[in-house]
Amino acid sequence: MLINVKNLVKRYGDLIALDHFNLEVQEGEILGLLGPNGSGKTTAINCILSLLKYDKGTIELYDQPMTPDAYDIKRNIGVVMQNVAIFDELTVYENIDYFCGLYISDKHTRKKLVAEAIAFVGLGDFKKFSPKKLSGGLLRRLNIACGIAHKPKLIILDEPTVAVDPQSRNNILEGIMELNRQGATIIYTTHYMEEVEQICSRIAIMDKGKIIAMGTNEELKQMIKSGEHINLELLNPEHLELSEITALPHIISAELTDHQLVVKSGRGKNTLIAILDYLKGRNITIGKIYSEPPTLNDVFLEITGKALRD
Amino acid sequence: MQVYKAFFKIILKNRIQLMIYLVVFMVLALLLSSSYNPPQDTDFTKVKVNIAFINDDIDSPLVAGLQTYLGENANLVAIPDDTQKLQDALFFRDVEYILRVPVGFTDAMLSGSAVQLEKTTVPDSTSNIYMDLLINKYLNTANTYTTYLPGLSQTDLVAHLQEDLANATEVTMISSGTHSAYAEKSGYYFNYLSYSLFAILILGICSVMLVFNNTDLKRRNLVSPLRSANMNFQMILGNLSFAVITWLVLISASFVMYGSFMFTATGRLLLLNSFVFTLAALSISYLIGNLVKSRGAMSAVANVFALGTSFISGVFVPQALLGDNVLTIASFTPTYWYVKANNEITAAVNFNAASLTSIFTSMIVILGFAVAVLAVTLVLIKQRRLDA
Repeated sequence: MLINVKNLVKRYGDLIALDHFNLEVQEGEILGLLGPNGSGKTTAINCILSLLKYDKGTIELYDQPMTPDAYDIKRNIGVVMQNVAIFDELTVYENIDYFCGLYISDKHTRKKLVAEAIAFVGLGDFKKFSPKKLSGGLLRRLNIACGIAHKPKLIILDEPTVAVDPQSRNNILEGIMELNRQGATIIYTTHYMEEVEQICSRIAIMDKGKIIAMGTNEELKQMIKSGEHINLELLNPEHLELSEITALPHIISAELTDHQLVVKSGRGKNTLIAILDYLKGRNITIGKIYSEPPTLNDVFLEITGKALRD
Repeated sequence: MQVYKAFFKIILKNRIQLMIYLVVFMVLALLLSSSYNPPQDTDFTKVKVNIAFINDDIDSPLVAGLQTYLGENANLVAIPDDTQKLQDALFFRDVEYILRVPVGFTDAMLSGSAVQLEKTTVPDSTSNIYMDLLINKYLNTANTYTTYLPGLSQTDLVAHLQEDLANATEVTMISSGTHSAYAEKSGYYFNYLSYSLFAILILGICSVMLVFNNTDLKRRNLVSPLRSANMNFQMILGNLSFAVITWLVLISASFVMYGSFMFTATGRLLLLNSFVFTLAALSISYLIGNLVKSRGAMSAVANVFALGTSFISGVFVPQALLGDNVLTIASFTPTYWYVKANNEITAAVNFNAASLTSIFTSMIVILGFAVAVLAVTLVLIKQRRLDA
């Protein structure tokens, strides 16, 4: 096991930031740590990296206790912090070389690794640029290059796409998947569920300092009762009786706003057919129809009673 | 040595600001120290006091001799014997001393009787004492002759008096050392150097420490396998290198201005003292660098600390002119001991055990400051690392 965290408790005065937090990370996976702001994701990462002292529990990396002086373990870790941590006074190349040099002392090896990292994040045209002249997306890419240049076996990325435009975000996510294909184990924290759905092989959902659900994307969605959301545009909704819709099998709720009917269904079969049959029987004409599968937000909503972005 | 290299890259990024300080300070130091003229040794010249001589006695050779003798040592100003005019002369400082020879003076002197000359003087004038000494010298010598040679004629008496009172002792200054004209000028330059050195070190070191103490960068360094001892070592080495380079640049001007004087004992002691002070300034700058949180604070601290300590420690105003309370407060700064040692070095014509002991004691105190402040800084860094 690459990371094994048991019963981790971290308090800030009366506030419990981590409440008996447990986490196991296997080699080669991309683990997404998903949770709303303040759920304890960054605190957990900081404790794992020995940046924070904790009150209770154990943290093991590579079957060894993780401490501030565990330099051999740190050598295998690459960290991309939530805030961009670079030197404004150094150029793009010098920044990557600096951070790579903290891990790799051989000059020739380092030169090769820095060149690879620059190519990987696509900053080849900006090597001699001062970070002050880079856009937000390019700065994020530089931040990632500084964290991964030494080719670590474990990469921890703490919300690396915050305040990044969609195009740069996609580039970053593709880059992370590429790193994983190259053999790196990745822990990815975010509060964007689309990102973890897109890249993570396993997802841990956090709330109030605890992991409240863990599994693959599909496993998590199987955990909840709610199924798809069926949206129908009705041209003559005056003939509709909502109580008759909710009385249909596997329907959890139905809501009509103007001409838009939103039906939340359970995990039964042929739900859509039953709804369409009912509408046909009532001579209600359908303008448009589409269905949405359940999201991680639904998972979070059902477990905690609140939305991920509340 | 990533940290060491990054240290100098950051310094180079701030080179314009540092160069402005360096050039301005150097030019000012050069101008001020070269325009400073220390008091020069001059030939001794007798100062003649303006006096009025009024004789109410007979025109005897003895009185004439006294008048001649006084005329050789003072300026005799002719003023009519009128009370109002004499008072005006004193008031307007035309004369500082009015001597009146009373009736019967000659007879009394020759007979050995007591006699009193009348004098009117400007109050609290130092020249009164000088004139009293001259007159007493003449009268005492005359009295000696009349006592031991009672039959001596007035003409002979006056001749003897002229001969005796003309005797003077030749004085030769014997000194085993020479006091170079550069000694005080270089002392002035080296005193001023403390201000420049302090300001440049605080600015340079703070600008680097502000970067390395940035929370995000600090955490990023902490998660790397770079040992904290190694990090501190590289940081201290960077600081030390920067301080030594700054010191070398600043002392280079002294070699340009004072040339071979800098290789004399005085010059070498000044250099040693400035180097020891550089270590203390470095140590304090390192502490300040670990305390300040913004560039604005950095500039404020650099100016306030460098200027403040320089003012109270005697860099701009000599220590001799500063009050005891000020000097007591200043003695808690290394600048005070640095200036004190500089003053002792430049004042000494010869170096002996006593003067060297005092100079080296000051240097040890400065070194003590350096060690103590560095120790506090390292504890602070360790504590912050634990609290992170």
